[in-house]
Amino acid sequence: MNRRSYFKRILVLGALGGASFSIFKWKELTRQVDPVLLWSKKDLVAELSEIIIPETDTPGAKSANVADYIIKVLINCMDIKKQNKFCSGLELVESHSMRNYGKSFLNCSDQEKQTVFEYIANHSGFSYRILNRINKKIFGESFFITLKDLTIEGYCMSKPGATQGLAYDYIPGNFEACIKLKPNQKSWATK
Amino acid sequence: MYNSNKTKELNTYDAIVIGSGISGGWAAMELCKKGFKTLLLERGRNVEHIVDYPTANLNPWDFKYGLNNTLKDREADPVQSNTYNPSTKHFFVSDAEHPYIQEQPFDWVRGYQVGGRSLVWGRQCYRMSDLDFEANLKDGIAVDWPIRYKDLAPWYSYVESFIGVSGQKENLAHLPDGEFLPAMELNYIEKHLGDSIKKNEHNRLLTIARVANLTRGWDHRGPCQNRNLCERGCPFGGYFSSNSSTIPAAVATGNLTLRPFSIVTEILYDEQRQMAKGVRVIDTLSNEVYEFYSKILFINASTIATASLLLNSVSSRFPNGFGNDSEQVGHNLMDHHSSAGAYGVHDQFKDYYYKGRRPCGFLIPRYRNLKDGENLNFKRGYNIQGHGERMEWQDLSYNLNGFGKDFKKQLTTPGDWTVWMAGWGECLPYFENQITLDKIQKDKWGLPLVKIDFSFAENENKMMIDIQQTSAEMLEGAGFKDVEMFNYKKSGGSTVHEMGTARMGHDPRTSVLNKFNQMHNAKNVFITDGSAMTSSSCQNPSLTYMALTARACEFAYQQLKNGKL
Repeated sequence: MNRRSYFKRILVLGALGGASFSIFKWKELTRQVDPVLLWSKKDLVAELSEIIIPETDTPGAKSANVADYIIKVLINCMDIKKQNKFCSGLELVESHSMRNYGKSFLNCSDQEKQTVFEYIANHSGFSYRILNRINKKIFGESFFITLKDLTIEGYCMSKPGATQGLAYDYIPGNFEACIKLKPNQKSWATK
Repeated sequence: MYNSNKTKELNTYDAIVIGSGISGGWAAMELCKKGFKTLLLERGRNVEHIVDYPTANLNPWDFKYGLNNTLKDREADPVQSNTYNPSTKHFFVSDAEHPYIQEQPFDWVRGYQVGGRSLVWGRQCYRMSDLDFEANLKDGIAVDWPIRYKDLAPWYSYVESFIGVSGQKENLAHLPDGEFLPAMELNYIEKHLGDSIKKNEHNRLLTIARVANLTRGWDHRGPCQNRNLCERGCPFGGYFSSNSSTIPAAVATGNLTLRPFSIVTEILYDEQRQMAKGVRVIDTLSNEVYEFYSKILFINASTIATASLLLNSVSSRFPNGFGNDSEQVGHNLMDHHSSAGAYGVHDQFKDYYYKGRRPCGFLIPRYRNLKDGENLNFKRGYNIQGHGERMEWQDLSYNLNGFGKDFKKQLTTPGDWTVWMAGWGECLPYFENQITLDKIQKDKWGLPLVKIDFSFAENENKMMIDIQQTSAEMLEGAGFKDVEMFNYKKSGGSTVHEMGTARMGHDPRTSVLNKFNQMHNAKNVFITDGSAMTSSSCQNPSLTYMALTARACEFAYQQLKNGKL
């Protein structure tokens, strides 16, 4: 990265910081979320999704452009309450990094990001337990759960996620009811 | 408004079929094959096999919002959007455009297009038996079915042989075997559960679902490619629909006139002959009104629409609706319940997996009230439908803690085996469960809005508790952990097995149709969709509608040939 683009980035971040204030001051959950402002947080969302599904020997959330999916689905498909909770969640991420490290989340070191993220995960209201899809309705409310669900969905339904992170079988042809699991076999991308 | 450019002669056919869904397609094909010039009327657009399946070959990433419905869709289609997703939306109506009134919550799921809901049906094909046909008589409920299994058995065979049904023979009196293509296979956990049930429960068994998916090539279609994307329409013709099968066969005879965009508003009565003379139709593209005439009329508009068409067809002879001397039209509405069941996780057999996406699950045929005196607190019974699978990301999303590398590894690796199963339960015919026409509110074609007043009652609710308990017992008996019972408490209509609004019976005073689905009060009218059902049994009903249709067509043909119509 050259100097000029570095400064540019700082300026952009400054502008985003200002913008973020105006998203996050909304406390009422029924207020319409401004898509432009949410889109301005795409880098932050991308960073968070990558912490959930990092690049390993297979692509991670960033390579699968999951942030784009999350924001699109959030704005177009999720109810306003969930959108607002998501925005307050992003605010919490930012304020927590600011309070602890004096910088925005994106400027934190990997270790710091991890620590902030753990804090958010541990304060998401409840933890998972073995439950099935039936109780889906109970979930999906908190920021962390929404973020996690949409990251997983966006990743597993993306081309890199489905075809490299998982096993994608476009036209199976036959059905083999009982096969021996091979070492390191990935699970199927679609049901 | 009447279009005088069309002469009466040009608008006259041997037969008219109203509705092109699973039973209408059959009526059209059978009548065409018998040499009748047949007009098939469909209120929606045309859908041509393969050509009009725009989402059939799409990958998950081709959908902008995944398979999530947009807020806009959910607002415009509060009912249909519970059933459709972006890959199937085009096969469902818009609720905003096609409103109806719910006296109590009732999901009226509709597909207004050529092929109707046969494009998106569940494809399960089960025969009814005398346990079902005799039930009303034995229990003193509603009226007796005017037919028995022996009347329908050859027609079941006839239909199965044509559509192609894969399944396993089990030699059960209450779930008769059919003409089956090779069965699909149970996976490891399903076999395990089946073995355990066989060992623990002497009168129960687990078998593969019987489905209209082709396990080998059949009638120039298929075989099924195990994509499990049936509801999008199958480019391989791997499952039966009107579009892939009966309508092309009807077209091939040269006797079919298919007229989409045609809402039938009224059945026209011929006072002199005391029969129907034809139908009045609104062309939804031009808003012009037409009349079409025929010797015989098959009404296959689907249960609720058929009843509303009858109720809307009033004349001095039929002030309460066409063929409604019994005043049963619109009443006795039924739908199976499928809300209750159980779910469990098994922590063994982790060496096994499967390849391909089998488009069906398993079936545990009915095991309650097979004999008298079982002392249960409910009548009739249910079958269990379910499937076993290993947890994949869709489930792990809810069940995995954490994040990061290890989490990703677990997320993308097959998890524990699970089984989900629920009871598809019989619903008794209650006179109070009914559809009526609203006296004031009308749709955009000036037709009165349909009002649906339906609820499940004590018998269904008690059955649901039993379903939960027996399901959980079977899972626990097979070593499943964390077994959870559930009851989704879904509204009526959500199983999309609505039926009963113009029932068959012996007596014209208490039923609408006779034993050949012929209207008691107008002999050239036949109704062979779900509205004809006298009781619901617990079997998925489409196969029975098709068998009744083929049988009624043969009867109508004989009657005409012998000069009785």
